[in-house]
Amino acid sequence: MARNPIRDRVAIVGLGSTGFSRDAGGRSSKALACEASIRALRDAGLGAGDVDGLVGAAEPGGPSPSAMSAALGLPRVTHFSSPTPVAVFALVDAMNAIFSGACETVLLYFPYLRLPWNSRSAAADPFRRQNTLGVMPAPESTNAAAAYAAWASRYIHEFEVPRETFGRVALNARANAAQNPLAAMKAPLTMEGYLQARMIREPLCMLDMDVPVDGADAFVLTTTERARETCANPVVVHAASVGLVGENDEDQLPSLARHGQHVVVESLRAKSDLWLDDIDVFFPYDGFSIITLGWIENFGWCAPGQAGRFLEEHWDAEEGRVMIDGRIPINPHGGSLSEGATRGSGHLREAVTQLRGEAEGRQVPGAQTALIGCGGFFFNSQGAVLRRL
Amino acid sequence: MSEFGDDAGLVERFPYARIDHDNKYMYRGWLDKRLLVNRCEDCAVFHHPPKPVCPRCWSSALRPTEVSGRGIVHLTILLHQGPPAPGVDYAKGPHPVVTVELDEQAGLRFTSTVVECPLEEVRIGLPVELDWVDRFGSPFPVFRPSTGN
Repeated sequence: MARNPIRDRVAIVGLGSTGFSRDAGGRSSKALACEASIRALRDAGLGAGDVDGLVGAAEPGGPSPSAMSAALGLPRVTHFSSPTPVAVFALVDAMNAIFSGACETVLLYFPYLRLPWNSRSAAADPFRRQNTLGVMPAPESTNAAAAYAAWASRYIHEFEVPRETFGRVALNARANAAQNPLAAMKAPLTMEGYLQARMIREPLCMLDMDVPVDGADAFVLTTTERARETCANPVVVHAASVGLVGENDEDQLPSLARHGQHVVVESLRAKSDLWLDDIDVFFPYDGFSIITLGWIENFGWCAPGQAGRFLEEHWDAEEGRVMIDGRIPINPHGGSLSEGATRGSGHLREAVTQLRGEAEGRQVPGAQTALIGCGGFFFNSQGAVLRRL
Repeated sequence: MSEFGDDAGLVERFPYARIDHDNKYMYRGWLDKRLLVNRCEDCAVFHHPPKPVCPRCWSSALRPTEVSGRGIVHLTILLHQGPPAPGVDYAKGPHPVVTVELDEQAGLRFTSTVVECPLEEVRIGLPVELDWVDRFGSPFPVFRPSTGN
C-alpha cells in the first residue's frame, strides 16, 4: 500500500446545489454560487463564522474566493484557493488544507455559467459576451476539447467499435437524468435518436459532449472527528488522487494505453483499501463519452477496447441503462452529458447523496462505497474513493 | 506593419497563434515554408510543441530543425463546426483536422489539416506529406496524401 495518512480523515458534511438548466435567466455566476453555498452550509447546520476555508473552482466567469467571502460575509478565512476546474483538484486542496490544519471547515463551491464560446444564447447575452477566449485559435488544433474527438477516432480505429459503443454512454446518462430533479436534460433518448444527432467534431456528435448549463454545486468539508460530533450522516474521502504523464500535450499523448487516467488508477489502487468488488456506485466522468469508456477500461472493469461490450452485457433493457452485475449503476444522476456540464462536481455530489441514502427514487440500496473517475486523459485526470462513515 | 523579423511583426503575421519566446522560431520557419521542430543537440531527441528545455535530458541546447513533413495520420477529426478561418467554410462540408506522426521519430506528431483529399479518404494510417497554403497572408503548413516520391 502507498502512504495515505489522510485516509478517512476528512468528511463531507454539507451539500447544496441550485440544480442545472440550459438557462438560469438573469442570474450571475456569483448568485448561483451563493445559493448553492448557503444551501450547503444550512445542510451542515453551520453559519458564516464556522467557515475558515474557502475553495472555489476557477471556472471562467465564476466568483473568486475573496468575492464569495465578501458576498457571504465570512468574518475570518485562513485558507482560500482557486484550483483549476474539474472537481477533484478542488476536493484534494480542501482535504489537504483541513488535514494540515490550515483551516478546520471548508466551503467548496463550483460555479457554472454557459459562456459565449459554447452557447449561442450565451453569446447573445451582452453581460456574458464580456468573457472572451482572447486569441481565436486556428481550427487545426487538438487543444483541450477537440482532442477527445481526435482520440475517439483512434479508439474506433484500434478496436473497430461501432458508434453504438459511444451511444450507450449517452443513453445511460439520459435515462438516469430522468430520475434526477436537478438535471437539465430529461427528454427520453433512443439509440436511433443518438445516431441521428448532429455531428460536431466527427466522430463525436452533440450527444457525446456535455451540455453547457447554468448552476452551481457546493460542499462543506471538515475533520472526521468534528463530523462525528456534528453530522448525522458523514461521508469520508477514503482516497483521492490526480494524475499526469509527461507527454500530456493533447496530440503528443503516448497512447490510449498510457495517459493521466492510468496514473490515477495506479495511485488510487495503491492508496485504497476498497476496490471494484467493494463498490456500490460508479462515477466515470463523461464530459465526452470517450472519457467514460476510458475510465471503465482503465479501472479494470473490462479489458481495453471492451467497454462497449461491457456496457451491452450489463445493460438493463427494461430501464434503458447500465446496471453492473444488476446492482451498480453508472452516473445515476445523469452525468455531465445529461444532468449538465459540472466538470465532476455533479458526480461528487451524487456520490455523497447516494452514500447518505438520500437519492430517493434512484437510491442504490445500502450504498456504502463510491468510486469516482473524474476528468479526462490529458491534464485533469483524477479520482476518489468515498465511503459512508 | 512591423518589420518582418521582429516579435511584433511575427504576431501580426500569425493572428491566430499564441506566440512566445519558446515557439517563435517555429513560426519564423513557417514564413520561409520550413517546418522546424525542436531537436536537442545533446541527445538528438525531437519534441513538439516547442519547450524551453529538452524533456528527455533537460539540455537547453535546442535547435529548431527542419523536418520532412512526411508521416502517417495518427488521429483524425472532421469538424462540422469550429473556429472561423479563411478558406474554411463549414457550410460546404466538414473541415478535416489530422494529427500526423512524423517519419523523423516515433510519437513525434504535428497537427494540421489535409488538403487535396476526399473526406472519405481522411483516415488513420494514411501516408501524407507536407504542403503549404496561405492563411492571413502567411504560409500555413498542411498535409496532403503522399504522392509516393
